[in-house]
Amino acid sequence: MTINEHHPEPTNPLALSGIEFVEYATTQPQAFGAVLQTMGFMPVARHRSREVMLYRQGAMNVIVNAHPEALPGMHPPGAVPALSAIALRVGDAGFAFSHAVELGAWEMPTRVSAMELNIPGIHGVGDSLVYFVDRHGDFSIYDVDFVPLPGANQAPPAIAGLHYFGVVQTIGGDRSADWVDFYRHLFGFSVLPGGQYFGILPKGTLLESPCRNFYLQLIEPPEGSEDIEWDERLLRIGLGAPDVPAAVRALRERGVVFIDRDPVQPTERGALTQIYLGGVTFELVASHLGGR
Amino acid sequence: MNLEAFGMDTITLAGSLEVKLAAVRDAGFSQVMLSARDLTSHERGVAAAIDVVRQSGLRVTGFQVLRDFEGLSGHLHAYKIDVARAMLRMCADVGSEVLLVCSSTSVHATGERDKLVSDLAKLAMLAVPLRIRVAYEALSWGRHVNEFPQAWDIVERADRSNLGLALDSYHILATKTAQDELEYVFADRIFLVQLADFMWQEVRSPEDRINTARHFRVFPGEGVHGEDVAALVRRLEAMGYRGDYSFEVFNDDYAQLPVGFVGARARKAASWLTSHLGRRALPWRRGNVADR
Repeated sequence: MTINEHHPEPTNPLALSGIEFVEYATTQPQAFGAVLQTMGFMPVARHRSREVMLYRQGAMNVIVNAHPEALPGMHPPGAVPALSAIALRVGDAGFAFSHAVELGAWEMPTRVSAMELNIPGIHGVGDSLVYFVDRHGDFSIYDVDFVPLPGANQAPPAIAGLHYFGVVQTIGGDRSADWVDFYRHLFGFSVLPGGQYFGILPKGTLLESPCRNFYLQLIEPPEGSEDIEWDERLLRIGLGAPDVPAAVRALRERGVVFIDRDPVQPTERGALTQIYLGGVTFELVASHLGGR
Repeated sequence: MNLEAFGMDTITLAGSLEVKLAAVRDAGFSQVMLSARDLTSHERGVAAAIDVVRQSGLRVTGFQVLRDFEGLSGHLHAYKIDVARAMLRMCADVGSEVLLVCSSTSVHATGERDKLVSDLAKLAMLAVPLRIRVAYEALSWGRHVNEFPQAWDIVERADRSNLGLALDSYHILATKTAQDELEYVFADRIFLVQLADFMWQEVRSPEDRINTARHFRVFPGEGVHGEDVAALVRRLEAMGYRGDYSFEVFNDDYAQLPVGFVGARARKAASWLTSHLGRRALPWRRGNVADR
């Protein structure tokens, strides 16, 4: 199928236009930074006042937050890097925030720090946050919050055309409908018809962003898994690649290890990396979204 | 049908939280309906009370009660949203998956249906990240919503998967609402059923209903509407309802008698009901709090 074959134009109340960045929290920022670099993300800037680094690859930004002071009411970062936030690019961050809160989103606790741009955000799944970021013209949030690393290329190219494809979220049993309501009503996501999947891990519920630029995948615990721990949280990011085998080759050359056994062998549809640092994986998905 | 389907409510019993939970367990029940006051009035504070509940091994049927929530505007709405957030947090912390919300009695609340719908949808949205289902109950003296078909109309229009009905046999009997109206209700959107009877034939005025509801309820099988209560349960079972039944018995006598005496009467009520209904296969049940 092609991505544009669905339905009438969905509503896009927040003028959503993609993922601005994803944030990981970890007490091992150097070790995780090394993993990110093998995946093609280059360090480009450091936060002015916190132990926070900005990595970039093509149009993708990744923030690694090792700031020891957790937000009020949230858990401090652990050793295993955890996806702690998604920043959504919207038309007007202030409007997006007040719209979401008016509909029943939880405001995230605010951080107060000198010289820091306040990014509005709401609580997402588990301990994660959803930020709203607007960009007007050449101005970006990174210009205010971050100091470029001396000598670092501020626009490192994407490996094999990699781009954000989506985020995978684990949810509790019988919770798909609740989270579909959450993403549908707050942001305008819509559920893709059953059986329509991407990549090599076809399961769960797939939600398409109203801008049709990225996806969310909701995964309930599999049958018979009552005894395993299955928290509700952001599990991993999916990276789109126009040519998955080419991307796998390029990343293998950089030292990335892909799981190579059934049912998750790398194919032209997708691939899954090994688990890094006790809990982080990256998924590749065949996609041409990056060219749009 | 078996004892697993039934639970007691702490409001029926005298004594400390520890005494009440022990009495519920000693009476042979595996679940208990809690009030916010059980936690906030504990002599060692809310956190200690939550520990007591989690250590009890009892599953929490639900958490009550958010009152006079819907239909307010301006600062009254903002105030109630803050109250709702605090109630939701306590509900989640104590391991309850259901928050009971009673229809508003406030003279400041509008009866405009769209506003009631949007307020309850907002509450349901607040409850999503906390894994809570909101059970909306028509109080028989509610200002605008006082019979379950009205509550169902609002729930259905709000169309949120974690917003459903709480049914209370007392209120249905008090307003003489036709049980046939349940034909329009989806069984999987009934999140809680509370059972009680009373000792006189009629409660005509709202004042009579309030007085009887708060002081003179009795267990099923002890009042004069036993056949109606049994018919309600029989109908719910036939509809496919597989959720919990909680004995919601506010009774001034029981509140000053030994908990063993009251627990035995609750146990007898469960037996009375099951003998009127026949056994049902052990339904799907959520796990005990202690197992989490």
